[in-house]
Amino acid sequence: MITLENLVKAFGTGNAPVVDDVSLSVPAGAFLVLLGPSGCGKSTLLRMLAGLENPTRGTIRFGDTLVASASQSLPAGQRGVGLVFQSYALWPHMTVAGNVDWPLKVSGLDPAIRRIRVAEALDLVGIADLAGRYPAEISGGQQQRVALARMIAPRPQIMLFDEPLSNLDASLRVEMRHELTRLHAATGATTVYVTHDQVEAMTMASHVAVLNRGRIEQFGRPGDLLTQPATAFVARFVGTPPANLVPVQAGAWLGLLPDPALRGATGLAMVRAQDWHLSGPGPRSLPAQKIEVVPLAGRLVVTCKLGDQRVTVIAEPEAPLPADLHLALPEAPYALFNIEGQPLP
Amino acid sequence: MPPILRHPGLWPTLAVLTVLCLLVAAPLATILGETLGSAAWAEVLASRLSRNLLWRPLATTLTIGVAVAAGCLLIGGFLAWLVTMTDVPFRRSIGFMATLPFMIPSFATALAWGTMFSNGRTGGAGGMLEGLGVAVPDWLAWGIVPVILVLIAHYYALAFTVISAALSSVNGDLIDAAMMTGASRRRIVTGIVLPVVTPALLAGASLAFAGAVSNFATPALLGLPVRMQTLSTRLFGMIEIGQTERGYVLAILLIAVSAVFLGLGNRLLAGRRSFATITGKGGRGRVMELGRARWPLCALALLICLVTTILPIILLAAASLAPMSSALFSDWTLHYWIGEADPAFARGLAGILHNPQLLTALGVTMGLGISVALAANAVGLVVAVTTTRWHLPLLTGAATQLSFLPLLLPGIAFGAAYIALYGAPIGSFPALYGTPLLLALALTAAMLPFAVQTGRATVAQISGEIDEAARITGAGFLRRLWSITLPLAAPGQIAGVLLIFVSVIGDLAIVVLLYTPATPVLSVLSYRYASDGFHQFANAVTLVILILSIAATLVAQLLRKRQRNAA
Ligand SMILES: Nc1ncnc2c1ncn2[C@@H]1O[C@H](COP(=O)(O)OP(=O)(O)OP(=O)(O)O)[C@@H](O)[C@H]1O
Ligand SMILES: [Mg+2]
Repeated sequence: MITLENLVKAFGTGNAPVVDDVSLSVPAGAFLVLLGPSGCGKSTLLRMLAGLENPTRGTIRFGDTLVASASQSLPAGQRGVGLVFQSYALWPHMTVAGNVDWPLKVSGLDPAIRRIRVAEALDLVGIADLAGRYPAEISGGQQQRVALARMIAPRPQIMLFDEPLSNLDASLRVEMRHELTRLHAATGATTVYVTHDQVEAMTMASHVAVLNRGRIEQFGRPGDLLTQPATAFVARFVGTPPANLVPVQAGAWLGLLPDPALRGATGLAMVRAQDWHLSGPGPRSLPAQKIEVVPLAGRLVVTCKLGDQRVTVIAEPEAPLPADLHLALPEAPYALFNIEGQPLP
Repeated sequence: MPPILRHPGLWPTLAVLTVLCLLVAAPLATILGETLGSAAWAEVLASRLSRNLLWRPLATTLTIGVAVAAGCLLIGGFLAWLVTMTDVPFRRSIGFMATLPFMIPSFATALAWGTMFSNGRTGGAGGMLEGLGVAVPDWLAWGIVPVILVLIAHYYALAFTVISAALSSVNGDLIDAAMMTGASRRRIVTGIVLPVVTPALLAGASLAFAGAVSNFATPALLGLPVRMQTLSTRLFGMIEIGQTERGYVLAILLIAVSAVFLGLGNRLLAGRRSFATITGKGGRGRVMELGRARWPLCALALLICLVTTILPIILLAAASLAPMSSALFSDWTLHYWIGEADPAFARGLAGILHNPQLLTALGVTMGLGISVALAANAVGLVVAVTTTRWHLPLLTGAATQLSFLPLLLPGIAFGAAYIALYGAPIGSFPALYGTPLLLALALTAAMLPFAVQTGRATVAQISGEIDEAARITGAGFLRRLWSITLPLAAPGQIAGVLLIFVSVIGDLAIVVLLYTPATPVLSVLSYRYASDGFHQFANAVTLVILILSIAATLVAQLLRKRQRNAA
């Protein structure tokens, strides 16, 4: 179990915090994904869990053990955590087996046991035949697997990943997603996984924390993010394609088309791509221009320009696109947010 | 007809190979041939004479090499660490200044040392310190200690360049990953940090070692007056007194010593376990906070840089104006520069600008510098184009190897090889000895590795997608050459030419065996003045060389910057 309470990290005094008042808790065996755009503080949060940075305020607990607070911090090596770096950080002067073996050697294990553990770890990630090679002599995907093997060999209770798949090509990424899920199941270790790719979050996570500028926007199950986005930021960040947020003013779509379903709100109306459709001119429609059309699973994802915004809408491939393109609005928006992005009741 | 004979690259490659053979392979083959089965081998290696001829100079040479390598490692490594891994102030300036000493010819630094530390032991009035009333002990004024210190001041720049390049590619995540295992600080240093940077350290050290053992000017100026001999000064002495075969044997041995260590260095740099970071993207650099040590360390670094760059220049300038180097900053006179001959002054020698030999030397040096720079650059470009464009079995590899071979050859040994081949008439072809052509050929060959390197960079830049992008617009060959290729290649090429120019005018080791009174060059002139005891004149001539070098270096630096901005 991992519990964070009011965790804050600022680099240098007087600077704005990079991680700002983060509190959350996940049970043992969970797969927690920290999701957010570049620079939102994900890596910093992860490095605090690993013991590579110390919190400015707040506490980190693993189970009942206090591992870090502003005044004390358990050294990285005593926390029982393993970390896979985005850059892999393989030691270039050691062979693949040497890389996996070194942490075991440091922890003082018997050579016989070490040999078994190394073989097991390499086997588990499917690179047993590369044991004697040097990191410079294997491919990027293989290096990634070495980094995994090195992390799991000491059998950490907590596994940490910092965007481990971002350097791989698309098909390898799908394969590794599956591998990681399998690894999580096989080890049963609590996992914290940092990414800016919402697909990874949706496919692997048991829990997701969406971060924005160092703060948690929403913490919940992956499905909840889609069905009950807590803020406009979350709505815009998750989903394939992500939901649309159409500006509304005093109860009128774009300030032009009044609609009682908007309840007089000013702010943003959430409309999922499947909630509206393309049409010709009509009483409940807004004019739009086509930008691009992407086929997806037998249907089309059409990106249009609505006002000065890009929006997406799902269309059927049989129906030709209307000549005078309009978007037919849904009965009611999926959700309403105020200007600050907070939900309206 | 076998297919290789129809290969379009055959004739160009053969032509390039022929030129390289004439420039590089033939002189080497000649000294090998001349000494093959000669009695000189036995005399040098195992006779009553060999102790003085070989073993003692060899021991001195190796001592110097090891000490200089260690010193360069220490200073170059320290500066590299400071610049790449810490938050020391003025990092960029320190990084720039630390590369400069290599641009100052080592005989300039050696002369400056003399100006400061020399004592009356070898005649003359002694240097500035004696003038201040400090009794300079012999070991500090002459011999192995000053030679080692001066060579460190010269070659640490080389170690710095290699090590800082390596360190800046070390990824901070490597260390974090080791911290995650719970390893102790000491274990991380010995198990991860040191092994990762060791190849770079060894490469830097071996470059400094090779440079130090082949250096001629410094031991000649600071060691010979007290009869300290190194392999290079011995080799010079043998050839000067006409014992050429013994000289050639020493040349071969000197090449062997420096090549072994340079080869080692290259191996380490290219090795599979080298520092090159294995990484996707996203590694973070790790900046170490120096805290209170920040300013003291910055001051130390700046001091090192100033003492090895600006200080020698100031000393030389003052010493070229002061009648007595024991009173460097008094009675300044321009006599050594522009004075008429006056029996009461400087033993009747006129100032260097009235010395017809100096003017000839200036002309010859400039002429050599410019023509060698252009010629080497042209040959280098052709070699680069030919060897990258076509890959013929054996031939291409041989051409590449030959073009980089001069890197392994100490200048003085190279000079000896050129005398062996071109010093005497070859058939009806007259001897080149005594003509500027001999100097030009030897220098061109010696500069080839740098020129080929520049050429390759240029080729890499202008072939490939950039050219293809222009071709797709329908631009013809000439149009592309004029508006794409030339503008892109010109800054790099000009910078390459300037750097070769600087190396040529500052070279002493290659030309000291090849020059004749008919073909005087500035560096030899300065060396001659110095060994005859006319230090002011030597310093003045050296300053002329330095001014030319600095001007050319600055222009090259400017061009590089412009090129980098354009890229
Ligand atoms: N050592 C440091 N000193 C000062 N600022 C830092 C340091 N490390 C990170 N930051 C800043 O903290 C912020 C968050 O950085 P962090 O690396 O956690 O982002 P991230 O969410 O992992 O982004 P990315 O997806 O690009 O990796 C950034 O603005 C970064 O500039
Ligand atoms: Mg990050």
